Amino acid sequence: MNHQSSSRPAAPAGCRVAGHGLVECRASALGDLRSRAAPAGAPAIPNRFLRHADEHTVVGLHAVLAALAAGPSQPDLSRHAVVAAPCQSGRLAAARTLAQLPAGGAVTVSPHVVPQCSLHSVAGAVSVALGMHGPHLGVGGGPDALAEGLLAATTLLLHGDPECTAAWLVATDWDEEPALDPVGNPQGDPVCRALAVQLVAAGDATDDGTPSHGPGLVVQPSARQESRPRLHDPAGGIVAFARALAICHAGTTLAPWAVDCPWGVIRLVARPPSHGVREAA
Amino acid sequence: MSGLVRRRCDEREPVVITGLAAVSPLGSTVDTILDRLFAGVSGVREIEIDPRARTDARFAAPVTEIPRPAGIEPEEFARLDRLEQLCLSPVAGALADAGIDRSPAGPRIGLVLGLGAEQLKVWELDFLAAGTAVFESRRDPTIVHRLAARTGITGPAVTAAAACASSGYALALARAWIDAGWVDACVAGGCDILSPTSIAAFYNLRALSRRADDPTKASRPFDRDRDGFVMGEGGACFVLERRSAAVARGARIRGELAGVGMSSDGVHMVTPSTDPAQAARAIAAALADAGVSPGDLDYVNAHAAGTPVGDVAEAGAIRLACGEAADAIPVSSTKSMTGHLVSGAAAFEALACLGAIERQAVPPTVNLDEPDPACPLLHVPHRARPHRVAVAASNSFGFGGSNLCLVLRAA
Repeated sequence: MNHQSSSRPAAPAGCRVAGHGLVECRASALGDLRSRAAPAGAPAIPNRFLRHADEHTVVGLHAVLAALAAGPSQPDLSRHAVVAAPCQSGRLAAARTLAQLPAGGAVTVSPHVVPQCSLHSVAGAVSVALGMHGPHLGVGGGPDALAEGLLAATTLLLHGDPECTAAWLVATDWDEEPALDPVGNPQGDPVCRALAVQLVAAGDATDDGTPSHGPGLVVQPSARQESRPRLHDPAGGIVAFARALAICHAGTTLAPWAVDCPWGVIRLVARPPSHGVREAA
Repeated sequence: MSGLVRRRCDEREPVVITGLAAVSPLGSTVDTILDRLFAGVSGVREIEIDPRARTDARFAAPVTEIPRPAGIEPEEFARLDRLEQLCLSPVAGALADAGIDRSPAGPRIGLVLGLGAEQLKVWELDFLAAGTAVFESRRDPTIVHRLAARTGITGPAVTAAAACASSGYALALARAWIDAGWVDACVAGGCDILSPTSIAAFYNLRALSRRADDPTKASRPFDRDRDGFVMGEGGACFVLERRSAAVARGARIRGELAGVGMSSDGVHMVTPSTDPAQAARAIAAALADAGVSPGDLDYVNAHAAGTPVGDVAEAGAIRLACGEAADAIPVSSTKSMTGHLVSGAAAFEALACLGAIERQAVPPTVNLDEPDPACPLLHVPHRARPHRVAVAASNSFGFGGSNLCLVLRAA
C-alpha cells in the first residue's frame, strides 16, 4: 500500500515559553547549592531535601526555583508536569558505587542510588519538592537529551494529562563530561548546568504554531521519512538555548535557534510586535 | 488553534496494537508467556549473583533465553551487552510481528523505550567486565538511538524513564505522537535487566522480599504475608498505529490502546503516598480517556509488587477511582509469577491485559493464600479464571510518586 496517502498531516505544534531559569555551578560549589534554600520569590523546599540527590538534580531543581523567582507571580504548580532531560545523570554515584563494590560488597550500595540517581530522578525531585501533580518523566540520558526533552515536554503538555496547565523542561549537563578518579570524584572543577523552561499551551497560536505573544517552541515533524544528521552538542545546546530565550524575553534581537533532528525540527520562535513570524536568537 | 490539540475520546481515531514481542522470565514468545501466565507458572528461582556483590538476596526472575532477531549475525548479537540484547530482541520482534513496511517509502516510524536506569546498568556491565567507561570523559549514544539505527527507524527516538512506570510512559508518548500525526506508527515498550547493584540497592532499601525458603513462593502481592518484591528482568514492545492504517494494510489488530492516565503524588521520592487521590486520578483519567466507566472494566492488572505499603496504597486507589464497581472487577498481579520487571513492567503487564482479552480469562495472583484485608479487592488467587474481558486496565507506579494507568480494549 502507499503509506504516504495514509499519513496524517504533520501539523506543527506550538506552545509558549512562559519563563526560564539557568543555574550553573562548579563541582566544588555543589555542596553549598545542595543545602541552599530557595531564592526569594520562589516556593520553599523541604529542609535537606537534596541531601541524597544527584548533581544534576541539585542544579535542575534550583533552575526551576530560579525561573519561579524571576516570574511576576507564583503560579499554581499543582497541575504542572515535569520532563527532565539530563545527560548522563547519576554517573558520579554510579562510579562511587562500582568503585566500592569489589571491596565492600552489597552493603556499600546506597539505597538512594536508584531512586535519587537515575534518569527519572531529576523530574521526580522537582515534582516532589514543589508538589506538582501533573506527570513527571525523565527522558534522554545521553547526547540527544535536549532534543528528546523538548519533544517529550511538548507532547506531555499538549497531549498528556488534560488537566495539565504547564510543563517544565529541565535540561541538565556538565559543561564537559568530567573524567573521574578511581573513587568517582571529578577531576578538575567542571561546571554542572541546568536550564528550566516553563511551557504553557498557546491557545491563540497561528497555523504554523507560533504563539501570539512572547517566545514559543514549535515542533515541526517531517511529512515523510527523512534521514538527516543529528546534532550532538547538548552543553552548547543548553547554553545557546538559554541565550536565545533571554534575548527573546527581552524582546530585542532576533536570530535563529533550532534543534535539527532526523525526523523534523524543534524551533524557538517569537512574534515581534505587529510583524510576521521570525525566528528567535 | 494550530497544531496539537487534545482530542476527546469520541473524536480520536483509535490507536491499535499490530505487533508485539516480549522477553521474560516465563519465556520469550508471546504464546509461551501467555500459556505460563494463565497456568500460574512462576519464573522466580534461586540465582547466582556476581560474587563481588556478596549480597544476601538469593531469589529473582531471570530471562533464560533472548531470541536473536533475524538479520543479526550471532557474533554481532553476542557483542551487544545484555541490556541492549534484551531491548533489541522485542523491538525487532514487534516490528517483524507487525509486518510493517520499513522501506524509505513506508510509514514514518518512531521508537520510545522505557529504560529507567540504562546508563547505570551499562556502566555496571562494563565495569564487571573490567571496563572503565564510567570513569571516562565520554558520551555514547543511548540504546534507543542505537536500536533506531539498527532497525532502520528514522522517526523520533526517545528514552523514557519513570522508574517502574517507564515502559507505560513510553506507550503513552507513542500514542500521543500517532494521535498528533507526528508519526504513522511507533514501536514502544521497555525492558530491564537484573544487575548486582540494582538488586543490592533495592535490598538495602528493604524493598525486596527476604524470604529464603521456596523461590516460587517469595512474590506474594496482596497476601497478608508479603514482605517485598522479587526482582525480574525482561519486558515487552508493541507496534502502535492508527486503526485505519492497520486496516488498510491488512494488519492483524491485537487490541486498542484506548486510554492513558498519568499523575504524580508529589509527596516522596521513594514511598507511595498514603493518600490515594493522585493514583486514583491517573486511573480515572485513563478510563475517561478511553470513554469507559468503571463498570465497563473487566479486569485490572495491578501494579502490586508485593510491598507492604504499595499494595495497600494501590487497593485504595482502585477503590477510590472505581467506587462500588470495584467489587465486581477482577484484579490480579502477574508480578507474583514474573517478579518485578521494573522498567519493563508496565509494557509486559499491558501484554498480560491483551492476553486476558485474547483468552477471555483473567490471569491469577499466585501465592495469594490469605488476602490482606487492607487490600479489599476482587482477587483472582492461584488459578486463572474464565471471564469476559473486553476492557482491561493496567496500573504502574514508580519512585518519585509516578502514577500511570493504561486501558486496553478488544479490537
